[in-house]
Amino acid sequence: MEIELLEKRINIWYLSSLIISIIVAIPVVVISSSFFENTSEYSIILRETFLLDYIFNSLILLIGVLSLTSVIGIGCAYLISFYDFTGANFFKWALILSFAIPAYIYSYSLSAFFENYGTAYSILRGIFGEGNHNLYIPKLDGMLGAIIAISFSIFGYVYVLTRVSFHYQSQNLIDLGKNLGFSKKKTFLKIILPAARPSIVAGLSLVAMETLSDFGSVSFFGVSTLTTGIYNAWIAFDDLTLANRLSFYLLIFIFGLLILENISRQKAQYHSPSKDSLKTKNKIKLYGYKSAFAFIFCFLVFFISFIFPVVQMGYWTYLFPKYLFELNLINLLSNTLILVFFSCSLLIAFGILSNYGNRITKSKFLQILTTFSISGYAMPGIILAVAYITFISYLDENLLQLKNYNIKSLFIGSIFGLILVYFIRFYSLANNGIKAGYLKINYSIDESAYLLGYSKIKTFNKIHLPYLKNSIFLVIILLSIEIVKELPITLIMRPFNFDTFATTAYAYASQDLLEAAAAPAIMLILISSAFILITSKLILKDQQ
Amino acid sequence: MKNYFEINNVTFAASKKNKVDNVSLKIENEGDTICLLGPSGIGKTTILRTIAGLEKIKSGSIILNGKTISSETIHVEPENRNISLSFQDNSLFPHYNVIDNIKFGVDRNKRKTKKIHLDDVIEFLHLENIKFKYPHQISSGEGQRASLARSLLSMPNLLLLDEPLSNIDQNFKEEIQVKLKQILREYKITTIIVTHDSYEAFYLGNKCGIILNSQLKQYDDPYNLHHFPNSIEVVNFLNKGTLIPATVIDEKSLENKDLGLIKGDFIKHYPKGSKVKLLLQPEDLEHDDKSNLKLDVVDRKFRGTNFIYTLKTQSDLLIQVFVHSHHIHQHDIDEKFGIKKPIHIDHIVCFD
Amino acid sequence: MKKLLVIYCFLYFFANSIFANEVNVFTSRHYDSDVQLYEKFTSITGIKVNVISGEDAALEKRMIEEGNDSKADLYITADAGRLGLFDKKDMFQNSISTIIKSKVPENFRSENWTAIAKRARIIFYAKERVSKDEIKNLRYEDLSKPNWKNRITIRQSNSVYNQSLVASLISNNGIVKTEEWVKGFVNNFARDPQDNDRAQILAVASGEADITIANTYYYALMLSGQKGKDQQEAAKKVTPFFPNQNDRGTHMNVSGAGVLKTSKNSENAIKLIEFLLTKESQEHIINNTFEYPIIENIEPNELIKNSNLGNNFRQDLETPVKEYSIYQAEALKLMLKAGWK
Repeated sequence: MEIELLEKRINIWYLSSLIISIIVAIPVVVISSSFFENTSEYSIILRETFLLDYIFNSLILLIGVLSLTSVIGIGCAYLISFYDFTGANFFKWALILSFAIPAYIYSYSLSAFFENYGTAYSILRGIFGEGNHNLYIPKLDGMLGAIIAISFSIFGYVYVLTRVSFHYQSQNLIDLGKNLGFSKKKTFLKIILPAARPSIVAGLSLVAMETLSDFGSVSFFGVSTLTTGIYNAWIAFDDLTLANRLSFYLLIFIFGLLILENISRQKAQYHSPSKDSLKTKNKIKLYGYKSAFAFIFCFLVFFISFIFPVVQMGYWTYLFPKYLFELNLINLLSNTLILVFFSCSLLIAFGILSNYGNRITKSKFLQILTTFSISGYAMPGIILAVAYITFISYLDENLLQLKNYNIKSLFIGSIFGLILVYFIRFYSLANNGIKAGYLKINYSIDESAYLLGYSKIKTFNKIHLPYLKNSIFLVIILLSIEIVKELPITLIMRPFNFDTFATTAYAYASQDLLEAAAAPAIMLILISSAFILITSKLILKDQQ
Repeated sequence: MKNYFEINNVTFAASKKNKVDNVSLKIENEGDTICLLGPSGIGKTTILRTIAGLEKIKSGSIILNGKTISSETIHVEPENRNISLSFQDNSLFPHYNVIDNIKFGVDRNKRKTKKIHLDDVIEFLHLENIKFKYPHQISSGEGQRASLARSLLSMPNLLLLDEPLSNIDQNFKEEIQVKLKQILREYKITTIIVTHDSYEAFYLGNKCGIILNSQLKQYDDPYNLHHFPNSIEVVNFLNKGTLIPATVIDEKSLENKDLGLIKGDFIKHYPKGSKVKLLLQPEDLEHDDKSNLKLDVVDRKFRGTNFIYTLKTQSDLLIQVFVHSHHIHQHDIDEKFGIKKPIHIDHIVCFD
Repeated sequence: MKKLLVIYCFLYFFANSIFANEVNVFTSRHYDSDVQLYEKFTSITGIKVNVISGEDAALEKRMIEEGNDSKADLYITADAGRLGLFDKKDMFQNSISTIIKSKVPENFRSENWTAIAKRARIIFYAKERVSKDEIKNLRYEDLSKPNWKNRITIRQSNSVYNQSLVASLISNNGIVKTEEWVKGFVNNFARDPQDNDRAQILAVASGEADITIANTYYYALMLSGQKGKDQQEAAKKVTPFFPNQNDRGTHMNVSGAGVLKTSKNSENAIKLIEFLLTKESQEHIINNTFEYPIIENIEPNELIKNSNLGNNFRQDLETPVKEYSIYQAEALKLMLKAGWK
C-alpha cells in the first residue's frame, strides 16, 4: 500500500510542485529559525515601552484600512453592478486605475498636498491671499494619512473581486429578494453581500497582507506599527533575530485571520457561477439626486485614488521638468520591462506547472504546502529579501562549500537573484490567480479529454490553456503592475548601476526631493496605467 | 469462446462507503449492450470510471478484446484504452461550442472505416438548434445529448454511458432510446449503460446487471430478470411484483389464504407443505367480473394502454393487476373487483 | 554569433559586473550630485564606478552575507554611528591614506573610515515666539527645561540623526544625566514626533511649535526655492541657531566612506575617497547637498552664507564622531524608555 502510494505520487509533476513549494518556503524557514537564536536586550526594551503601542497601532491601521477599502471597494462595485447612472460605464474601468499608484507614491502626494506650506496652502494663498492657512488645512498625516494612502492605493483588489462576484450573481437570487418583499437595503445585506462574501474576503485578505507588511507608507507618515518594531530591532539594535521573530508573529497573525475566516464560512454554501448568472441583469436606472449621489461617490473615489496623486505628481513634473529630462528613460524602461518579462514568464510557467501537478497528483500534502506560499506576500519585502540573502549565504558557506563556484554572486546582486526573490514574493499571487481559473474547470472535463484519447500534455494544450487564457492574462497584468511598483526588494537585491522607476523615485524621495521623485513616479504610473488600460476589458470581462 | 469484454473478481471502490465487491461479468459479443441497474449512490459510476481507467484496481482483472487493461499490475492509461465515457453531469468543454465539442469525438474515429455521420447524430439527438451555443447557454438535457453525441461519434471500442438520458425531456426520451439502440447495433458499438430506470435498461440492454448492497446481485437478460429474479432484494428493487405468503400443495400448485389455489410450473422444487413467498406479477392475474373472488380497489392508474389496479385482500395484502384499457371499467376506489379463479402462473417463482 | 549572445545573456543575468578597472560602491546617499562626481572620477582616472544605492541597513546586511564573495569595494553612508557599527563588525580595512589624514580632521574619521562631508544638527525657532533671553547661549541641554513645555517638535526616535545626537550627549554628559535630559525633553514636545526635518521646520513656521532641532541642509533646500515659493517664504519665518557655542560646539554628523576588508579594488576605492576630498569635489558636494565641507578653505555656498548658516560657527570638535556608534543603541533605549515615539 505504502509503496504503491509512493509510486503513484513520485513523478515529475509531484517533484516540480514540491521544489517550487520548497523555494517559496525559504523565507519562512529562515525567519522561524530565529527562535533558535538569542535576541538582544531590545526585546525587553520593546516589551517595556512600545510593544503594545505598536500592536495597537497595527490593529488600528488594519481595521482602518479594511473598513475604508470595504466601504469604497464594495460601495463602488455595488453601485456599478446594480445601477445605471451617469458615468457608470466610465467608472467601471476608471476605478481600476488606482492599481497604478503605489502606496508610497500616494503617501508622497498626500504629504506634499496637506503639509504645512504644501500645495493646499499654495492654493488657499492663491485664492485668499496671505495668511496662515495652515491652520485650516486638515493634517492628513500620521495614522490618518497612512490609512488613506494605503486604502486608496489598494482598494482596487476589493473593488475588482467584488464586482466580478456581483456580476456572477444570479438574477434569480436578486428576484428572490424582491419576491420575499425585501427592501433594496435588505436585499443587499441579506442576499447580495453574503453571496459575494468569498470574493470580498479574498480581496480584503490581500489588503490585510499588504497593510501589515507595508513599511513605505507607515514609516513615511511616522506611524509606529509592528513593522516599525521590526525595523528598529534590525536597524537600530542590529538584532535581526528579533526582527525575524516579530515578522514570524505577523505571519502567524495573518494565517490566523485566514484560518478563522475559513472556519467561519465552511458551513455555508456559496454560489458558483451558474448558467442564469450570465443573463444580463436588469440594472436599475437612477434619476435625480440618487443618480447624482452615485456619480459623486464614484467620482470622489476615482478623484482621490487616481486624479489627485497624478495631478500632484504631474504638477511637480511640470514645475521641475529638468528631472524628467534627466531621467534615462530608455534604460529605466528597459530595466523595468526586462524584470517584468522574465519574472512574469517564470511565475506563470511555474504557477501553471504547480497547479497542473496538483491537479494530476491530487496530493493533499502538496495542496497544503502551496497554501503556505502566501507567506511571501504577507511579510515585509525587505525581511523577505534579507531572509533570502541569509539563506543563500548559509547554503554557500555551510552546505555546498564549492571552492570554484561562486554561488553567492550568482544568487545575490544579479538580475537572476532579483527575479528569484520576486518569484518568492509574488508566487502566491500567480498561483492563486491560476488556481482560480482552474477551479472553474471541472475535473470531469479532464477525464472526458483523456477518454477522447487526449494525452495529459494534449489535454493541457487543447483544453486547459484556452480556458485559462483569461486568468493567465489577468495574472500577468497584476504581476506586471506589482513588479513595476516593487521597491524594497529591488533596492537590496539589484546589481550595480541598475535602476527602475521605483528605485529612482525612492532615491529622490529619500533626499526629501519629492518634487524630483515626481518625474519617475509619473512615469511609473503611466506604465502601470498602460498595462491596466490595455487589459481593462479583460479584468472586467465577465469570464465564462 | 472468447468474450469481448470481461470483468473478473474486481472490487470497485471509490471510497469505503461506496464500493461494489468482487464483481465478475462478461460481454460475449462485440456490439452487445449491457445495462447496470441499481439505486443511486451505490457505486455504479465508480464501475464505469474504473473500466474507463480513471480509477485503478487492486485485484482481479478487466479484459477488453483479449487485452488486459486493468489488473493489480497493469494499468492502461485512459487515453490509450479507446473507451469513451459520457458523464452524467455533462462534461462538455466550456470554451468550445456544441458542434466543436462534438467534433472532438469525430477526431478520434478518423481511423475507422465505417463512420457514424456527424449530421445523422445531430439530427437524431435534436442538436440542430444548439449547434453554435456554448455549454453555459444550454440546458442540462441538451448538454447530455451533446455529450452523448460526442461519445458516440468517437466510436470507441467500449462505450460507457452514465445515466445518459436522465435529464432529457420525456417526449424526446423514447425516440432517442430507439435511435440509440439502432445506432449501437448498426455500428456494433459495445456499450455499458448505467441507469436507475429499469424500463430503459430492459429496452436497451441485451443483458442487465442489478447492483444492490455492494454486490452484483443478478446479471441476466431482461426477460429472466423480470420473470426469474434470484432474490427478494431484486424483486423489491424492480418493484414490479408482490410477494405473498403461500403454502405448497403439490408439484403443480400452492395456496394462499385470500386468493385460493394458484397453479403453474415451479422453477425450483419445494416439498409439500412448505411455507413460501410467492412472486405475483401484475400480468399473472386476470380480471373477471363474474368471479366470486372479489377484492377491494385501493387505487387505479390509467396508463393509456392499460389500467393498473391496486387491490387489497382480506388480510391486507396489496396486489396489482393489469387490465387492457379498451375494457370499460367502472371499478372505482372502494368498489369490488373480480379476479378469475383459479389463478394460473406460467413460472412459479418462490422464495423461502 | 549565437554563442556570443548566449554568453552575453549569461553575463547579463548572473554577473555583477565585468570590467576590470573599476570600483564598486554601495551607498545610502542617493544624491544625483554624487553620481556626477563618480562620472567625473571615471573621466579623469579611467576607473569605472559601479553603484548600488539603498537603505543603509539593507546594504550592510547584503555585504555581510556576501562575505568574501562581495563585490563591494567602498561603502558610503550618511551617519557616523552606522559607519562605526559597521566597522565594529570588522567589515572595513585600514584605508586612511596619508592624503586623507592630511585633509580630514582627526575627530571626523577613524582608523578605517573617513568623513567626506559634514552635517550640523541645529536649532530652528520662531523669532516672534521665542524671546531673546531664551535663545541666548542656548545649549541642547537646555531644551529639557520646563520653559519649553509644549513648544518643541522633532522627528521620531528611529531617526538615526536623533540617535547620534543623543549619543553625543551621552558621550559628553553620561548616561544618567542624559536619561534625565531625554525625559524632560520628551515632556516638552508640542506634538507627537512625525515626519522629516523639513516638516519640523515648517511646523515651527506655521505655529504648531516654537522650536525644533533639524539638519541645516533641509532648511537650505527650502531657502533655495527648490520646494516652491511658499516654503521658501515659510523658511524665512524661522531662524536658525547654532547651540552650544560657548562650550563644546554644535553637534556634527558626517557622511563617510570606508573601504571594505574584502575589497578587490581597494586602491581604486582609496583613490575615489581621495578624489571626493579634493577641493573641486567638496565644492560640488556643498553646492548641491548643502552639507558642510570636510576640508579646509572651502568657500561656503552663497545661499548658506547669506542665511547665517556659514562656516563660522563653533563645531563640536571635542566629541569624536566615531564615538556615536558606541552609544547609539543606548541612546535609542533611553529615548524609547522616555516615550519618544
